[in-house]
Amino acid sequence: MSKSSSQFVDSRIFSDPEIFEDELEYIFKQVWVPVCHESEVAQPYDFRTTSIARENILVVRAHDNKVNAFLNVCPHRGMLIERRPQGSFLEGQPSGNPKRITCMFHAWQFDMRGNCVYVAREKEGYQDRFSKNDAGLRRLRCEVKYGGFVWVNLNDQPQISLEEWVGDALEDMSVSIEHSPLEVFHYHKAVLGRNYKENHDDLIKFRQNITNKLKINDGLSEGSSNSRLRHLGFGHVISGMLRRQHQGEEVSRLYGELLDWAHTTQLPLRSDKLDEQLQRISAMMKSEIKEIIKANAPDQEKVRESETTHNLSFPNMKRGEWLIVDLFPGFHFTIHGSALSVMTVTPLAPDEVMLEVRGLGLKGDTEGIRSKRISDHNEVWSPLNIGLPAWQRDSDLEEQGNDEQYFRQYYNEWGRIMDRLPSNVDEKFLAPPTDVATTPPSKKRIFERPGLHVVVIGASHAGINVADKMRKNGFDGNITILDRQSGGPMERPPLSKAFLLESDQKSNSNYLLKQKKWYRTNDIRLRTKTSVEKINLETKKLILNDGEQIQFDKLVIASGAVPRTLPIAEGIGNVFVLRQPSDAISIRKQASAAKKIIIIGGGYIGLEVAASLRKKGLDIDVVEVADRILARVASAPAANFLADLHTSHGVSLLTGKGVDEIIEQNGVFAGVKLSDGTALSGDMLLIGIGVLPDSKLAYEAGLDTLMDDGGAILVDENMYTSHPDVLAVGDVALLRGQKATVESVHNAQETSAVAAATLTKATPPMIQAPWFWSDQYDTKLQSVGIVPVGDERVYQISRPGKREGGISFWSYRENDLVAVEVFSDPATYMEAKQCLDTGRSPDPNLIGDSSFSPISH
Amino acid sequence: MDLDLEKQIERTIYRAALALDTQQWNDWFALCDEKFEYAITSFSPEINKDMIYFSGDKKELKGLMDMLPKHNTDHSPLHRHTSVYTIDVAKNGETATAVSSVIVYQNMLDGQNSHLDSGESRLFVIGHYHDKFIIKDGMAKFAHREAKLDNRRLDKGSHWPI
Repeated sequence: MSKSSSQFVDSRIFSDPEIFEDELEYIFKQVWVPVCHESEVAQPYDFRTTSIARENILVVRAHDNKVNAFLNVCPHRGMLIERRPQGSFLEGQPSGNPKRITCMFHAWQFDMRGNCVYVAREKEGYQDRFSKNDAGLRRLRCEVKYGGFVWVNLNDQPQISLEEWVGDALEDMSVSIEHSPLEVFHYHKAVLGRNYKENHDDLIKFRQNITNKLKINDGLSEGSSNSRLRHLGFGHVISGMLRRQHQGEEVSRLYGELLDWAHTTQLPLRSDKLDEQLQRISAMMKSEIKEIIKANAPDQEKVRESETTHNLSFPNMKRGEWLIVDLFPGFHFTIHGSALSVMTVTPLAPDEVMLEVRGLGLKGDTEGIRSKRISDHNEVWSPLNIGLPAWQRDSDLEEQGNDEQYFRQYYNEWGRIMDRLPSNVDEKFLAPPTDVATTPPSKKRIFERPGLHVVVIGASHAGINVADKMRKNGFDGNITILDRQSGGPMERPPLSKAFLLESDQKSNSNYLLKQKKWYRTNDIRLRTKTSVEKINLETKKLILNDGEQIQFDKLVIASGAVPRTLPIAEGIGNVFVLRQPSDAISIRKQASAAKKIIIIGGGYIGLEVAASLRKKGLDIDVVEVADRILARVASAPAANFLADLHTSHGVSLLTGKGVDEIIEQNGVFAGVKLSDGTALSGDMLLIGIGVLPDSKLAYEAGLDTLMDDGGAILVDENMYTSHPDVLAVGDVALLRGQKATVESVHNAQETSAVAAATLTKATPPMIQAPWFWSDQYDTKLQSVGIVPVGDERVYQISRPGKREGGISFWSYRENDLVAVEVFSDPATYMEAKQCLDTGRSPDPNLIGDSSFSPISH
Repeated sequence: MDLDLEKQIERTIYRAALALDTQQWNDWFALCDEKFEYAITSFSPEINKDMIYFSGDKKELKGLMDMLPKHNTDHSPLHRHTSVYTIDVAKNGETATAVSSVIVYQNMLDGQNSHLDSGESRLFVIGHYHDKFIIKDGMAKFAHREAKLDNRRLDKGSHWPI
């Protein structure tokens, strides 16, 4: 069948100088480029030079180990500063001092953060008209991520975060490349007389040849192989052959044994006889195979060593598996055999491109293992590849067939960004019906939507939920969430519960508030490791810690709360608070080596940690200054129930006692001295004495807060603060007229839903009675309503549970139901919630009778 | 010092250059011991590391050479200019080492536009040979060759030994 003209790309996209210049401007100056690997700047003061779209770039590792990127240009006269490809600023240069980046032209000097620290003849030449404090290197957006690659974006305000842009593309590979620190062992480059997109297209064909060929070489039938291809957003493609998930794993295993056997016994194999040989092998018991190997292997040590390198792969990959990721517009990551190989492109002209190839292994490789990785890498990527690698034999002279979708995906993305139709560059881009980009964006704001820009500070429950609700309410403007933490925003409640019981040193993605895909699907930009330094309400700009400024139309502060600390415990080792996943990881790491933990604070955090770590076998003392645990948040009967529960599990509860002194040995926590003189010894200390609203930014910006010197941000019923374009939600916000914040998931969800309704002019959500839950040991507490602690008119009535071990405590103020605390009795909780949501107060004289139904009277 | 032996080693290096220039792989292998090992290496100031671009023994090399006719490659012949700088024969007379400078030119045949490019000669790579010899019955044969290149930028190239 003949193809219409729209089935072909316009040849001018490969040759037109004007299009090439646009590509530099709208593609290469907008996307994240992996410019080098962090092992190329391994030590503080190491540097590496590179370039993107003709802009010279200097990558340095600062004394605090942070990798920074700058334009490699002196702000004085625009001279190129560093001309070497790599080196260290630790040593002085003829024109500069040690630990300084020095421009040889007029000897201006800069530190590793780009600050100008010396201007020659500053006073004599400039008097007071200019100070070195006014100058600095032009800092670039820089992230070290995905196996330690250094990613730079020339756009100071990237339209999309690195994580959003990469999306799922490197997710499969991340379990391998983030398993252990990596190190570059190979580098070369090539300048080829071709357009960079032609290089991409050839790589696609090359990959198809590999995957097609592998099916044959591996002896796996097409149906059982796991060769696959996935199109992802932004023109990225992932493909490869993974054996780990497919049903042919048994075949793969047997095949591995066959190879091992053949390797040891020198048995000649014929690829066309593999199936037959596999059947023979599979009929043999594994032990028999080993016996044969043993009998045929005169030097066991040599065989073991040989097998180790013979079967060497990348972490979490199996020998023979391939994983290939193409990031638009031409960054190519491949794991083949035991090596990670990465090719990047730097377009030089319409008909000229520079390729850079890196080979990477693990930093901890032994000499023998590194040698094998180099060999595997060279099999494909050596610049002087002599002869042919085994897998390519017989195949490179023939076309294995093309999957047009590879190319369509790539050129659709090109067209979307360039706003040109790939099949006719004179016409504007029109997304095909199946393309996710249904609205052709303007050239300079390629990832932006029209409409308001709402910025959320804090990827808390409240912060994420406000974005979620806004999208669900139909908001089609831009949403950016800024988060100080690294990684994806996590659920907080599990941190003191199930999360603490895990042994992994990393965060479990099961606890993510939202999976990565959600951000992309909803077009919500999440920028992690991004701290806001200042809110400028006049200009409606946020100033970030690296100097970047972000304009907002509406701002939502969801910065949450920070744990209260004890000044007397500051600076002492093995002292913890718990708020962030990193806190929980530190606690569980220390807990694995500790025998006893002392917890200051008998609130929910302290008690949940006690229950979790008791399960791990630690001895636990809980110290509470009040006369009972949960004095501020639970009724006395409920607190007593939980106290008995903890005591029965061997936790020592010490109430009515303050902490006078922290005992340390060599700077590490050793115990506490209580107000009654009791000394307790322990290996670690958890401080769980509540939280403070994280309102510093708001207070400094001049927003109304509870107290003159800070405290919760005051909001009205629409969640507006004292500024008409700023809202606050979650733990940091307090409704005017109320006295105390409520730190709970329910509060986060409700306030954020109200804020989203405000911003989108949607109907406000139904207000529910506050609810809360806590898991301790095998007991689940579910609470609805707020227990008015300290109100003498309030009393509790206990009600037996509908199931064994269940009980609930119903709090009344006179005859009005105000709260219910339910232990291990979900059905009663649902009834209690229904009562409080609908304003129903069951008769307090009858509620203690389990046969009385609170919702039918 | 055995001047004849030094002369013979020098001639062996030059003969190897001629055999490689003319792609007479068997002639080259004939100058090599059965345990011959070959490597192309380079030091990269960019990543501050010694790198191995290729390594293999005689058997592997032979296998790869046999595959060359099936491979798409640039057909522009390479010409090596070699100058032997030092030859050091071990005291026991059983081994020797030699260091040579090597410059490889590419006489263009293939090209983006062979109509224009063919016939031109370009500098391909520069570097040194670090050779080790094994001497048996007064005959020196290559035991190991490291072609240590200064190039880290290698554009359109060949798939032949340097």
